[in-house]
Parts: sequence; C-alpha cells; structure tokens
Amino acid sequence: MAITDARPSTAPPPDPLPRRTRRWRYRLSVALHEPTLLIGIVLTVILLYLVIAPLVAVLSDAARVQFGDQPKTGQQAGELTSYYLWRVFRSQVSSIVFWHPLLNTLIVAVGVTALALLLGGLSAFLLTRTDIAGRKWLSTALVVPYMLPSWTFALAWLALFKNERSGGQVGILEARGISTPNWLAYGAVPIIICLGMHYFPFVLLLFGNALRRLDSQLEDSARILGARRSTVLGRITLPLMLPSLSSSTLLVFGRILGTFGTPYILGLPVDFNLLSTSLFASVRNHEPGITAVIATVIVVIGVAVVVADARLLREQRRFVTVGGKGAMNRIIELGRWRWVAGGVALSIFVFSVAVPVLTLALSTVTTTPGVFSADNFTLKYWLAKSLPDAPGFPHGLLRGTELLDAAWNSLRIVGLAALICGLVGLLIGYVVVRSDGSRVATTLRQVSFLPYLVPGIAFAAAFLSLFAVRRGPVPALYGSITLLVIVLAVTHLPYASRSGISAMTQLGREPEEAAQITGAGWLTRVRTVVIPIQRGSLVTGIVLPFISGIKELSIVIMLTTTGTQLLTTLSINLIDFAYDQMANAVVLVIALVAFLATYLTQRLTRTSLASGLGG
Amino acid sequence: MPTIALQSVSKSYGVGPLAVDDLDLTIPDGSFTCLLGPSGCGKTTTLRMIAGLEHPTEGSITVGDRVLDSVAQGTFVPTERRGMGLVFQNYALWPHLTVRRNVEFGLRVQKVPAAERKARVDAALEMMQIDRAADRYPSQLSGGQQQRVSLARMLAVNPSVLLLDEPLSNLDATLRLEMRAELKRLHEETGHTIVFVTHDQLEAMTMATQVAVMKDGVLQQLAPPMDVYHRPANTFVAAFVGSPPMNLAACDSSLGELAQRYLALTQTSALDAVATIGVRPEAVRLVEPGHLGSEKEWVFEARVRAVLPTGAAWTVSVTVGSTDLYLVTTDEVGATSGDVLRCAVKRKALHLFDAEGNRLDLGTDRELERNEAVQWIS
Repeated sequence: MAITDARPSTAPPPDPLPRRTRRWRYRLSVALHEPTLLIGIVLTVILLYLVIAPLVAVLSDAARVQFGDQPKTGQQAGELTSYYLWRVFRSQVSSIVFWHPLLNTLIVAVGVTALALLLGGLSAFLLTRTDIAGRKWLSTALVVPYMLPSWTFALAWLALFKNERSGGQVGILEARGISTPNWLAYGAVPIIICLGMHYFPFVLLLFGNALRRLDSQLEDSARILGARRSTVLGRITLPLMLPSLSSSTLLVFGRILGTFGTPYILGLPVDFNLLSTSLFASVRNHEPGITAVIATVIVVIGVAVVVADARLLREQRRFVTVGGKGAMNRIIELGRWRWVAGGVALSIFVFSVAVPVLTLALSTVTTTPGVFSADNFTLKYWLAKSLPDAPGFPHGLLRGTELLDAAWNSLRIVGLAALICGLVGLLIGYVVVRSDGSRVATTLRQVSFLPYLVPGIAFAAAFLSLFAVRRGPVPALYGSITLLVIVLAVTHLPYASRSGISAMTQLGREPEEAAQITGAGWLTRVRTVVIPIQRGSLVTGIVLPFISGIKELSIVIMLTTTGTQLLTTLSINLIDFAYDQMANAVVLVIALVAFLATYLTQRLTRTSLASGLGG
Repeated sequence: MPTIALQSVSKSYGVGPLAVDDLDLTIPDGSFTCLLGPSGCGKTTTLRMIAGLEHPTEGSITVGDRVLDSVAQGTFVPTERRGMGLVFQNYALWPHLTVRRNVEFGLRVQKVPAAERKARVDAALEMMQIDRAADRYPSQLSGGQQQRVSLARMLAVNPSVLLLDEPLSNLDATLRLEMRAELKRLHEETGHTIVFVTHDQLEAMTMATQVAVMKDGVLQQLAPPMDVYHRPANTFVAAFVGSPPMNLAACDSSLGELAQRYLALTQTSALDAVATIGVRPEAVRLVEPGHLGSEKEWVFEARVRAVLPTGAAWTVSVTVGSTDLYLVTTDEVGATSGDVLRCAVKRKALHLFDAEGNRLDLGTDRELERNEAVQWIS
C-alpha cells in the first residue's frame, strides 16, 4: 500500500460530500489498515449466530408442532401450538416430566450447596487463616476432587452401597452381607453427598481467595477499639465475606442445574429425576417439543441465577474492600489444635479423593466386590481376551479398539475445541483491548460471556434442535465431530475469553503500539510481540478448557453417536449395560488424563488452578 | 524535517464532550513543543493522533506537504508508515526481549543490514548511556534505565519527529531533573522536532521552545514558555502555570476592591472591563511598615495566616479582608500568624482579566512601561 494522496495541505479541495459520508470514508480507510475492527465484527457475528441461533431454535421448537406430533396435537407440523407447554406443565404426565424433577432439582441444589459451603467454607478458613498442620500440602490436595469427573463419586458410591435393586454387581457392603436400604443406595441422599464432595473445592477456592485478600488491618482496627474476637468475626469479617459467599452459593447452585452424570447414575434406579435427566429422557424418547420446553426452563433458571449473582455483587460492591498493597494476613495460632484441624481437613481429603478412587480402582480388579482373597483378584476387566458374561463388551478394556477409539476421539475433539477456545479467547481479548470503548468491543465482550448464562445440558439440547436438520447453508451437523467441537468450544468460551481479556488488559496496548511506531505491520506485531508475550496465558487458555472438556459429560451426552463416542460417554454406556467394573476403569482413565494435564500445566506455566475455575 | 500542522482537528469518543475541540496547532521544524494541561485536557489524545494511534473525527494533520490524516479527503497514513518515534509513559518495553533486541526491533523491521544495525544500536545505547545493560531484560532494569532504553529504541530508527508522552512522570525527583537535562541536551544535539506531553508546568517551562496549554480539548495559549508565564492568555493559564499559582482575586473581593481603587489612581483606561485581578506570589514584596505606595507601586496590608519555609524561600499565606493570598520571598520572614505585614506590588506585575477570564492588555500598560523607561534614562 503506497502512501495515499499527498496533496498540499494549504489548499484543501472543495468537498461536495456531506460530512457524514466523509467521516465514513475516512473511517473505512482507517479500518483497511487496522484489521482489529474487522476481526471484532466477524467474531461477533459468528458468536451471535452460535449462541443466539440455538436458543431461538429451542424457543421455536417449544412453540411449534413437531413432525410426527400431528395426531396428538390435531394440528399441522410447523403450526404454532401450546401443546408442549400444556404437556409439560399441566397434563397428567407433567408431574413425572417436570414438577417432580423440578422439586428434586431444588432439593438437591439446596442440599449440595449447603454441604459444599460447609466443607468448602471450613477448609477455606482453616487453610487461609490458621496455622493448620500440613497447610501447604492440603491446599493442593483439597482441590483434587474438582479435577475428578463429577460422577466419579457416584460410581464409587455404587461400588460401596449398591443393592440388589438395579442389575449387575452389588456393592461391597451388600456383598459382605450388610444390606443397604434404597434411600442410602440411590436418590437424593447419595446425590447430595456425591455432588457436595465434588463442588466444595469450588467454594474453597472462591472463598479462600476472598479471605486471603481481606486486609486484617480492618479486623485489627476493630480489636483496637475493644471488640472481642467473636464480635470481630460476626460484625467485620463475615459481612465483608458476604459477596464471595453469596457468589459461590449461586454459582454452585447454577452448576447443579446442568449436572447430569451423578443424578443419572444414582437417581435412575429409583426413578429419581432431576431436570437434567428428565431433559435427557425426553431427548432419548425423541420428543423435541418437550425437550425444548424443559431446556427453556433450565435456561431461564440458569439466567436468573447469574443475574441474581450479578445484582448481589453490584449491591455489595460498596463494601468490597480489596486490601491491595497494604493487605496483611493475620494467622490464628491453633496450638495443639493445629493437629486436630489437620486431621479434620485430611479426613475431608480421604473421603473425597482417597476412598472413591481406591474403591473404583479395587472394583476394577476384583470379581466379587469386597472380597479380598487372592483368587478373587483379577485383571480380566482390563486385559482379558474374552469376557463371556459381557456380550456388549466381550473383552478387557485395554483389548479391542473401543477405549482407544474413545480416547482418540476425546483427545482430538476436546483438543481441537480447546485450541479454538484458547485462540479465540485471546483474539477476543485483543479486540476488546485494542478497540477499548468502541461498540464492537463492548458487544463482543458481552456476547462471549453469554454461554455462561446457559447450563451446558440446555445448551446441548439447543444445539441439537438447531443442527438436527439442514438450515439454509448450514448442513445438519448432528452426529458429526464438528458439532461436538463447536459445542465444546462455545460453552468453554466465557472462561477462555475472560482470561484472554484479562491477559490482554494486563499487557495493555502500548507494547504493540511501540512496535507499530517503529514500522511493524499488523502480522509482524502479532507474531513478534503479542504472541510471544502472551505465550503463557495462551497455553493456559488452551489447557484449561481441555482439562474441563475431557471430563465433560452433560454437554456431550446428547450429541454423541456411536461414531463419535468419547471417554465420558463410553463410561456412561458401560453403566447402561451394567458393566460397572469397566465403567469404573474408564473413569479412572479420564481422571488420570485430567490430573496429568493439570499437573503438567501447573509445572509448565506456574499458574494456579484457582485462575482456571472453568469446570 | 518539516513542520507539523494540525488544522481544525476534533476528536470525539462518541459519548461525552469532545476530547479535542477544533484544534489548530503548528509545530515548527526543530522546535521542542510541550503540550501542557491537566489530565483529561486532550493533550495525550493530540499526541496519539499525530502518531496515528488515534484518528481524528474532523480536520487534518499534515507534515510538510504530506497529508497524514484528512477526514475531508478520506486520507489516512497508518502509524507504521509515519516514521515517527514515540516514548510511552510506562516505557512499553517488550518484556520478552533483551535491551539490545528491544532497541534493534525497528531496524529489523526495516530490514537494515546486520552490520549497520549493530552500529546504530550501539550508537543509540551509548548516547543514552545504557550500553552496559545491553544484554539484560527490561525487568532487570531500574525505572530510569528503562526510560533510557525506551529513548534509545526510539532514536535507533532515526525518526523525523520525536513524540514523548509524559515520559518523566514515573521517575523520582532526582532522576526527573537528570532526564530533563538529558532531553534538552538531546534536542540541542540532534535538532529533532520534539513534541512532549506533560501535566507538569515545570517540565514545560524548563525544556520547551513553545508551550501549548490545553484545557477540556481546547487550546488556551500557544507561546514560548516565558510568554506563557509573564503574559498568560487567560485565568486558566495564569492559575495553571507557576507554583504556587498566581493569586487571582475577583473585583468584588476585599483584595479586588483595594486593587481597583489603586488602579483608578493610575488612570488605567477601560477599567470597567476588568473582572479579575491577578498577581504572582513572587511579585509581592514585603516592605517596611512606613513604606508608601505610588502610581507605579500598589501597597496594602495583610494578616499572616501561616509561614511555610521551603528551604530556599519562604511561602507566606496571608489574608486581606476575606481574600486569601500567597506570597513567596527569599528574605527570611520573622512574622508569625496574626501579624500584620505591609505588601507592595509593582503596577506592571498586575495581570488584568475580563469577565470571560481573557487577558486585558490595556493601552496604559505600554504607556506605563515607556514612562518608566524615560525615568530610568533620565
């Protein structure tokens, strides 16, 4: 591009164009030299399509007669109808399809949130404000439950408590002659305990960070004015912690809405349905209209939770006191009690990590659970050439191609999605920072955050209704790898773009402008300045979605077909066949992959897991 | 290196008032121009528009006969083709490159041959006296060293214009003094055109050949530093330049009334237009109790509120009636609060402003000066 026009400035030619047109022409010539705006617009359009179109498709499915439902509704396919609303909310089946699942979801959500707050709050306090024994080790160990696939606990629970009611092997207790009642083996109680175990690290991280940042000078000031320790705790510390408490409460609550594996495994044998499993059932029964209505309800509740969280945070911002430089952390000395506290925290670790993982590991190498004699140990579930009693999976897990295929699918699909996520996240960060304050930047920031509002399982249902058929130039993507990659990338984008934006904000625009002023064009700048500086955050932005995606179940369960089996869906399929040992083995493999990836990232980039709360 | 000209340049960020409002500014070749003003006055935006990092909403920017921006013609030359140098407030060194690689970057982009590249980098490093830190990373350098690297990085590509965006504001006082001298030396040695943005009037006064004072996006005064100081165009410039700032008294204040009564004696014409009277703190002299005023000297009494020794001088806070007033003197002040002091101000040290705050240059000023000159000769 040559330097445009070089007329002498002294005599500007008379210009016939109106002022507005002139401005647009100038802006266009600016935009031609700076691709930021263009990238921003393209990204915004694509994201809007991928986020808004599925939701629109779901709404339209909920209000239109689906193909095949003409006799039931007495209307033509495609006509507007309130049939599905009626069926979900007011018909004879609505208590099974909707009202009981809704009630169950609320019970489970409240229970899990309470348990997570108790465990997470207690361990956060012990780890940040006391000299608890083994503090450093515990602060890593207690986050491990969050790295396990959420339904690991459910499988372990079955391996321990399963009774005769559902098929396959009974649990260790039953095998030893101790009968377990249904309420202990299945339903609300075990679901709450298992999910509580999984989600408490979430509270621990959020709440712990807030506690760490609390300036203890604020507490000291109260003590100097004569307040007792208990008064300080009740009047100063707790109120200051309220934002992070309410925030983690709502976020855990929101997660429960979209969680699938645990209620599926532990609820199904006693017909204990949550909204997520009810949604899945209607997908399996090929009832797109009902699926759409339930998905819409889940989306509405999910949005309400996030909006409530945002509103609470805004209201409480007036007393959010981030300590900043002067923050000091006063450690409470527990004396002899530090060992007791250490014991308590250690037992949380034992019950949330050691027991489940060991139970699962043991179950995969024993024929009859709970019997630890030499002839009962076997490696056949891993290695046998043929397993006569398992017609659906007639050989050990490591034989045949099923596990390898699923692992390869998981790696390439999740890997590709994570790669896209990381790159797009950084690109969004780039656009937002470079064109800060412009309408494109604001829109893009908001659009990339939208998937956060929608629980994953509802999002998957929405994608299903959008891509089940060909729409305009977009082919029917159902059953394809592309669809899985897109769904995984879009649902993980909020975290990736948030970290991209914060990384680019921290860097600012000056380093790139400094390159620009010395004569470097756009590509040179991105290649030699932006990417090298952001290498670390780019790696994190790819690996964290990868870790979370590799153990993702609720989003992919509806979208995988036999050709696109993933590790997580393979495990659930094996459970459907009641091949518990092999299902457990697959979950162990997933946990191992997730754990290794986390460990490697932490070693390579020295980032803490706390920054990657993208479960 | 030709003259930079901004013609009717406006910049709007969509919401709020204009960041830069119809700015006409000429920066002569080889000048050291300071854009001076409080934060948010549009000075940095102006600098960034010259660099091509921001884009005007209206108007044009030219260097010599080369049009860089012209909204009317739809012309835009991107930053990387403008051949300017810019030093950022926070230096913006690339953390992943060593000092040498930082300085070398622009030459690599321009595909300068290795031998010449090395020579030019060495020269730039030497000129900024940081050749010994060449192989270190920016994070291993002190703030002053980082500043020098960022100057060297700019100088290495030999730009036609040097743009500096508050480059000294992150340095401590000693270093700032040193860098001021350094920049002035640089300007004198290289003859570069320099545009320097600052909110520190002392920086502007000490280094610039011309100062452009801005407020709310509007240019207030463009003049050599001493003119800005001695003949401020309006009350804003008067109050902004100088430390402590010029004392400004409305005509209906206690001090203003006294001053008007005095001015009436001097037969200053068009006195009615005067709305504000200004006097610099250092123009107020402390005199003996019996000292009498004259046509050329205004004398009044003031009550001491506080005496603030600053080492080299004394700043005295006094009140005249209900008006507060600062004065600065290098003579030791023995008074304590409550004492009454007699103050004298030369007629020509009084600044007069109209109701809009604009400077009034009354005809009598020149007459007074002439009279004084005649007296001096005779």
